[in-house]
Amino acid sequence: MKDKTRIDPILMRKTILKMAYSGSSVHIGCAFSLVELVAVLYSKFIRIDKDNLKSNDRDILALSKGHGVMACYAALFQKGIVSSEEIESYFQDGSKLKGLSSVHCPGIEVSGGSLGHGITVATGIALADKLRGSRTRNVFVIVGDGEINEGSAWECFLFAAHHSLRNLVVIVDANSYQAMGRSEDVLNLEPLKAKFEAFGFECCEVDGHSESSIEETLNFLLSSKLQTPKALVARTVKGKGISFMESNNVWHYSRLDKETLERSLSELEP
Amino acid sequence: MRQVLSNFLIEQAATIEDFVVLSGDHGYALFDGLRSESPSKFINVGVCEQAMIGYAAGLSKNGFKVVVYGLSAFLPTRVFEFIKMDICYDHLPVIMLGDGAGLVYNTLGASHQCAEDISMLRSLANLDIYSPADKFEMDLCLKAAANSRNASYIRIGKSDKPSIHKGPQDVDMTRGFSKVNSSKSSVCFIATGSMVSTALEVSKDIDALVISLFSLSTFDRHELLTILGSAKTVVTLEEHSVNGGIGSIVAEMVAESAIVSSRLLRIGINNRFTESCGSYDYAILEHKLDVGSVKTRILSFLES
Repeated sequence: MKDKTRIDPILMRKTILKMAYSGSSVHIGCAFSLVELVAVLYSKFIRIDKDNLKSNDRDILALSKGHGVMACYAALFQKGIVSSEEIESYFQDGSKLKGLSSVHCPGIEVSGGSLGHGITVATGIALADKLRGSRTRNVFVIVGDGEINEGSAWECFLFAAHHSLRNLVVIVDANSYQAMGRSEDVLNLEPLKAKFEAFGFECCEVDGHSESSIEETLNFLLSSKLQTPKALVARTVKGKGISFMESNNVWHYSRLDKETLERSLSELEP
Repeated sequence: MRQVLSNFLIEQAATIEDFVVLSGDHGYALFDGLRSESPSKFINVGVCEQAMIGYAAGLSKNGFKVVVYGLSAFLPTRVFEFIKMDICYDHLPVIMLGDGAGLVYNTLGASHQCAEDISMLRSLANLDIYSPADKFEMDLCLKAAANSRNASYIRIGKSDKPSIHKGPQDVDMTRGFSKVNSSKSSVCFIATGSMVSTALEVSKDIDALVISLFSLSTFDRHELLTILGSAKTVVTLEEHSVNGGIGSIVAEMVAESAIVSSRLLRIGINNRFTESCGSYDYAILEHKLDVGSVKTRILSFLES
């Protein structure tokens, strides 16, 4: 029952730009780094019924790194779960879609605005699957590299390995930046893969902007016979796709004006 | 009280398939029964209270009935924001047990004492707070929590005091509070948890109607206002900060009411940390929450 409809990353970026411009919102760079990850997950790995979003056998995509939520809205828009009206009215008074992931938005599984939370809830969801003995679906959780400064994430990594939560897949959007600077300057996390392995995860690294590599690596991890939880360290670029935003941390906070919007959109044309 | 709690957990585990109790490495003997009857339904998650709240939320979202146990100094005090975002914001019916509330762990110092749990949690939506005074209240509060659509916090304070009520029939769960004597006095004591027995003891010398308020979020306000309306003096008693606890609850009701003009005395922990190490009774004395000190304060208030 996998939905094979491809989510188009370029279209996602255009949607994100439109939302960010009309809503005058920040966090564009944080959303752009995870576009391909979200696109591949919703294209190939997340079984979700748009008419029954709470169906018990759905796969879970928990965006713990709530600051990238526009990427999820853009993908859910292509899946017909978020409407064009909701996209167009982003940040308007009385609108539904919030600036950080919230469980009360359609298709959003956890509230990720406060960092280090979504990973704990996703771990609980995977634990329930294990206790029930029904691990036929997967629980994917996207954390940011900045986000896992939070101790609660490491508590989860210990716990998930100890309890062999093998259907839990932690994906790190490792874009090397956090709000105020480069992660290696703020609080060094590396070597991330070795850390996950030391914690008892099966871990792979991947180019987080290569759809085929992401798909291949996730398939490799999901076909593993090991009883361990899985981790995918996705090496990404903050602001990916727009030359003047790439690895330029001002786009964590900057807003688009008409000129930067048009320049951005023109860069996305073939 | 603790036996009632243990029995509740054993019974829930036996009757609900998807049921689990989480503890952050606390409560050893309390779970002996549960662990022997339903070992797979108890998980010691390790010393990580904040993540435990998230796990509880995830389990609850995935259809489990979840009870989370901790010391009130940590659950809710340490993990307040996880309760807010992961349980309350998602409106999940998780039951949280905060043990050792108040001054129970006095010998261990400030880290293990808790005078702020009610105050913190009162500001959260989708959460019911219970503060039972004896085993009968405890049993009914647990059952109410188990049937609630909301999350619940059950405050467990000093638990080895004698029972207040003769039986469950004396606990008015519909109203969320019970009269524990039949005095017609114009003085009314409203107490919660461990301080109900203190209030009763004081009422032997100072005639007063004694009320045990155990359902702090969902009690019958109209009925309590009617009672307050015929009282000239109201005294609240709690092993909790006077700021934000039942003293504040009653003060707000009195201030907002057009029919109540009672004078109010709030007795509790007066925004200070315990100074000395010592027994529970010593700590109660230090905070002037013992029967003698309470009596003196009320008498001087009545005379002023």
